[in-house]
Amino acid sequence: MRITYVLNEAFNNIRRNGLVVLGAVLAVFVSLFLTFGTLIFGEIARVNTERWQEDVRVIGFIRTDFRDVEDLRVEIESWEEVDAVIYYSPAEALDEARELFKDDPRQLQIIEDDPSIIPASLRVRPVDLNDYDTIKQRLTNSPGVSDVISADEAVQQIAAIRDGLRVFFWVLAIALGVAAVALIANTIHMAIYARREELEIMHLVGASNWFVRTPFLIEGVVEGVLGSGIAVATGIGLYNLARDRLADLPEFINLTIDNAFLLRWGLLMIGFGAIVGIIGSGISLAVHKYVRT
Amino acid sequence: MIRLHNVTKVYDNSVVAVREVGLEVAKGEFVFLVGPSGSGKSTLLRLMMREEKPDTGEVWVAGKHASALPSWKVPHLRRSIGTVFQDFKLLPNKTVYENVSFALEVTGRSRHIVRTQVPQVLKLVGLSNKADRQPRQLSGGEQQRVSIARAFVNRPLILLADEPTGNLDPATSVGIMRILDRINRTGTTVVMATHDHAIVDAMRRRVVQLDDGRVIRDQRSGAYEIRVQSNVAPPGAQPRETGQDLAEPDETQELAAVDDTADLELSPATTVDDDPTPVPGGDA
Repeated sequence: MRITYVLNEAFNNIRRNGLVVLGAVLAVFVSLFLTFGTLIFGEIARVNTERWQEDVRVIGFIRTDFRDVEDLRVEIESWEEVDAVIYYSPAEALDEARELFKDDPRQLQIIEDDPSIIPASLRVRPVDLNDYDTIKQRLTNSPGVSDVISADEAVQQIAAIRDGLRVFFWVLAIALGVAAVALIANTIHMAIYARREELEIMHLVGASNWFVRTPFLIEGVVEGVLGSGIAVATGIGLYNLARDRLADLPEFINLTIDNAFLLRWGLLMIGFGAIVGIIGSGISLAVHKYVRT
Repeated sequence: MIRLHNVTKVYDNSVVAVREVGLEVAKGEFVFLVGPSGSGKSTLLRLMMREEKPDTGEVWVAGKHASALPSWKVPHLRRSIGTVFQDFKLLPNKTVYENVSFALEVTGRSRHIVRTQVPQVLKLVGLSNKADRQPRQLSGGEQQRVSIARAFVNRPLILLADEPTGNLDPATSVGIMRILDRINRTGTTVVMATHDHAIVDAMRRRVVQLDDGRVIRDQRSGAYEIRVQSNVAPPGAQPRETGQDLAEPDETQELAAVDDTADLELSPATTVDDDPTPVPGGDA
């Protein structure tokens, strides 16, 4: 009886304040849709930059008179920002150069004339794109390294854009999350105010505090879950649509992300919506005199 | 049943509402609180129902130290207190039945209790045939009877009434007083704040008079105004004799007739127990 009564009260509140509830649900929806979208976007960016990262290295050329190459390789590999180090012997480097310049006979001629101009090298793969500069710096100061070159700065620009977007979207999502909390708090505030006479009588006849407050908490949670549920559904729907429509993208852009990722974050978003609802109604309940004995 | 010890209440605007009041009300007593507006009657009732806390002194209600009760325990205290107000405080969008059952539902009573208790208490106040009406379809007197039914449906030990006849004409007031008298006869302690001379004079019950927050008179079977300075209640006044069980068929039959007798003259011979017989061993 208690449970059904409390649930009835919560859903009656929602029904009676349809428009205000809709506003709160929409606020949660917009906020969590952007957050979820950011997550999906971030995941696509991560998958792709990771793939590109596979192919980019910082290259340190080894002086011809340097003998302790293996020691140096092991040392560099122990650096925190380094994922892997591969040694290219002069012979391997020459093969690579022949392959690289096969359409450029002039360059090829220069190499073939004096193969010793192609030095041995260490190819260093960073853990993160942002680690390029550090690795470049440390490599330059290492013994036996004559010259350091790294991949195009474009990679770093991509990383910077990726990080910038991430920050921007999170700030936006947090700001909208706060707005969603405030709108839910306002909805609950109006529901409490509309029922103030009833609440006064509940207190007079000795209704317990949880009995008075729980319907409002449930209302907040329902609004939060509704908003986040719609956000997750819309997010996944739009993602699938985009993936199908953009099938002709260049090969180097991969839009496929793991279903487990979508499921995990989708559920977390809905949980987050519930928390937004609890915080919103909690704020209202904390400041309202009608729900206190 | 109710004990106030040296209670002082000062409101935020530094108005002293109650000054060093000591008061004991025994189980089953009927007490009128009288005095001019602002004399502290309502504040005393609010202290008893723990709507307010005293600044100094102690308030004990139904065996509980109300003034020291943590707020989460207040609901439990309130279940042993019924409250009736001048403005009825009914929910306009609920029927008579729903207004009364509300008190049981929100305190978590079972459906079975609601189904048996609500009709019984509606019968007590003579509104069985108006259970489906909404408050706006009722007269003032009828609305007040609904509010009494709601206050009593939990079978509280104490009924606190703050000028329950304040909005009603004298004839209707008689009907209300009959019901409060009935409730008192079941053993329920009744404390009623009022300005109604006629009622206090006719009922001849204990009268506690307040002025500027102090108790200036506490009389066993008094009138609204001091005429005879006799019969002052001793500390720990004895309760009056309690009446029959409400659930008895013949009793409720009689109560059902309240509706029709509401316009009777209030006469001490028919409505008031003029000569209360004190019984020993009252529970203070």
